[in-house]
Amino acid sequence: MALPAHISSTVANPSSARTPIYALVGNPNCGKTTLFNALTGLKQKVGNYPGVTVEKKIGTAYSQHGQPITVIDLPGAYSLAARSPDEAVTRDVLLGRRADTAQPDRILCIVDATNLERNLYLLHQILDLGRPVILVVNMMDLAAAAGLTVRISRLEQALGIPVIACEAVNGKGLIELKVAMSRPDLPLARHAWDVPAAIAPAVTELQASLVSHDRKAPFLARAEALLLLTDQDSVRVAGSTPLHARTEEILRSWQKYWEGEGTDWAGALVNSRYDAIGRIAADVILQTGETGPTASDKIDAVVTDSVWGWAVLGAVMTLLFISIFTLAEPPMNWIDDQTAVFANWVQRVMPEGDLRDLITTGVIAGVGGVIKFLPQILILFFFIGLLESTGYMARAAFIMDRLMSRVGLNGKSFIPLLSSHACAIPGIMATRTIEDPKDRLVTILVAPLMSCSARLPVYLLMIAALVPGDRVPLLTKVSVMILMYALGTLGAFGFAWLFKRTLLKGAPPLMIMELPPYRLPRVKDVALNMLERGALFLRRAGTLILGISIILWFLSAYPKAPAGATDQQQLAQSFAGRAGHLLEPAIKPLGFDWQIGIGLISSFAAREVFVSTMGVVFNADATDDIAPLRHAMLAAKWPDGRPLFTPLVCFTLMIFYVFAMQCVSTIAIVKRETNSWKWPLFQTAYMTGTAWILSFMVYQTGTALGF
Amino acid sequence: MSQSAPNIRLPLCQLATGTVGRVCELTGDAQFCQRVREMGFGESACVTKVSGTVTILCSVNGNRIALSHGAAKNILVEPLDRR
Repeated sequence: MALPAHISSTVANPSSARTPIYALVGNPNCGKTTLFNALTGLKQKVGNYPGVTVEKKIGTAYSQHGQPITVIDLPGAYSLAARSPDEAVTRDVLLGRRADTAQPDRILCIVDATNLERNLYLLHQILDLGRPVILVVNMMDLAAAAGLTVRISRLEQALGIPVIACEAVNGKGLIELKVAMSRPDLPLARHAWDVPAAIAPAVTELQASLVSHDRKAPFLARAEALLLLTDQDSVRVAGSTPLHARTEEILRSWQKYWEGEGTDWAGALVNSRYDAIGRIAADVILQTGETGPTASDKIDAVVTDSVWGWAVLGAVMTLLFISIFTLAEPPMNWIDDQTAVFANWVQRVMPEGDLRDLITTGVIAGVGGVIKFLPQILILFFFIGLLESTGYMARAAFIMDRLMSRVGLNGKSFIPLLSSHACAIPGIMATRTIEDPKDRLVTILVAPLMSCSARLPVYLLMIAALVPGDRVPLLTKVSVMILMYALGTLGAFGFAWLFKRTLLKGAPPLMIMELPPYRLPRVKDVALNMLERGALFLRRAGTLILGISIILWFLSAYPKAPAGATDQQQLAQSFAGRAGHLLEPAIKPLGFDWQIGIGLISSFAAREVFVSTMGVVFNADATDDIAPLRHAMLAAKWPDGRPLFTPLVCFTLMIFYVFAMQCVSTIAIVKRETNSWKWPLFQTAYMTGTAWILSFMVYQTGTALGF
Repeated sequence: MSQSAPNIRLPLCQLATGTVGRVCELTGDAQFCQRVREMGFGESACVTKVSGTVTILCSVNGNRIALSHGAAKNILVEPLDRR
């Protein structure tokens, strides 16, 4: 097998003077994250690739001699012919197209031993890149349990690159891997495969044009040419670096020629790769054991059953929600208490004045009010991590696909919508795995309709005001809560249906999703992921929410009322109070007055701010017990003496909060994810418009019926 | 493996549960065909339908793949045997 002329048989470490850069690539579910964590421990830096919202994870591993090695964990991909933003990042980093990320010197490709043939497809494309590659065959223990023997030395012989057998979850093979990574030179693959005869001249011609016109490095040009010929959409393959007109012309003329000949060129390339892989697999994989149903097969018989599947999913979801709301309560109360203790301490040690007010009522109350949701977010991500790590999450998406397909979405939208019950921000971030851009956008647009944990304090206050007596019966509380959650979910599904038929009309979604085998959860990885999410949430609380809290404080503190005015009088004549008065004509048909208007304006930052604003408006402490606030609210009257907070108004207010987009952080994240202001503005308009219309209908109908 | 009715071609969604079929044609657009080929559904691959009527669960090369009805409709198979 001849080596390409442009490369030598070994490549010395190009980085004797600097830290070598390894890219870690592999199929989804092959244990890539576990290996990355095992190699780098906690020495990781998580950020985003500029321009796209794909997570960028870089860690430092150490060679056997203690030299640092940079490892870039690239998003999981089945192929370099990218379909989703995640896969496009993997392709672009490997091809050296991203200016923000150094091109890796070497590639660490991880494959699943239980699923070798399919996993070798990505490796096969990676070997085209002409870079030194180390192949890590992971999950050797699971392969052995399934009666499979992978002959590592034969695989090494066939490919000509170092192949390391590994069980990343137990740390087995890591020393051998680090030794291989520390080698000053690595052999290049004996990688030759038969490009179909009908396609080969086009590869040569495109390769030459890519070198001369597109200024591609010779060793990458062949890989780029093969990619262009694997995908009919050359614009997508070219990514952010458009092709030179001459290259585009060569490509088009070949495509036209093949279409005339009736040649399925893209299919021919994929199939010939599989033929080459099939020959390698036949030589290295031995089926030594029985091939009866595996444990995964037996679990799937129940979990994906059309009846039992729903029962299991229902039980898992119930457990998830009970855990979020019960386990999170003590730490949430603790954070609340500590926030109050800190605010009191600042109040004691600082002299009276605007600066003290800004710090206590603006910064501490504002940021503290959001940080207290951290326990719920951590618990949610811990559970989602567990479900993903065990392999159940893919089954949940499979079960939900039937329901989601009725509104034009596929099962992959289920995970983002589920996450949105804790907070729309992680939910929207979780849409990145949805391949179809329209499906992804529809999911982003409807995700904030799922009742998030920030709506809970508003619901709880309104339920307290709705029901006579200081103690709300548990059944009433639960029933109203379920009603609000159901309304949000129905709203999300209804709007998804509408958007998929009008604004974002597209072909029916086609879901193709791999269900990984069931595995014991890797608690360390789950915990690491949970902590990363928590850190991202805290970073946002420390930046965006801090800024908004300061602005809101300013709006409610200025202009100053004459000396001796109460907090309530100060608020009434502040900018926020004046805005409330300005807003009153628009919200009066919903039964709301200017004081509620202040709450609506301030809670545009975050919904739960409504409760603390009502505390200030009605001059009642809302931190520990909502009973005093409830009494103050029930005593509030319209100028003509009618009570303000009738049960109907409380109910209408809840309906308003189910549908209204009262969350600046969500708007900011939607802007970032869609890379445009158009969609967050549209989303705010449609959600707030729907909230107004439904609240109007509820209030006016209720009034007409005498409630 | 006893071959039964080897000339019948039907969409994967219509294959009886527990039956093995050989992929003989992919009928979706090029992007769809490429993705399913990359997932192992190349022409001549053997697929076992595990469960499902609307969303299909099948096994190909030992991997479990879930396919929505629309996707399974575009994969034409030739039934090979019944387990």
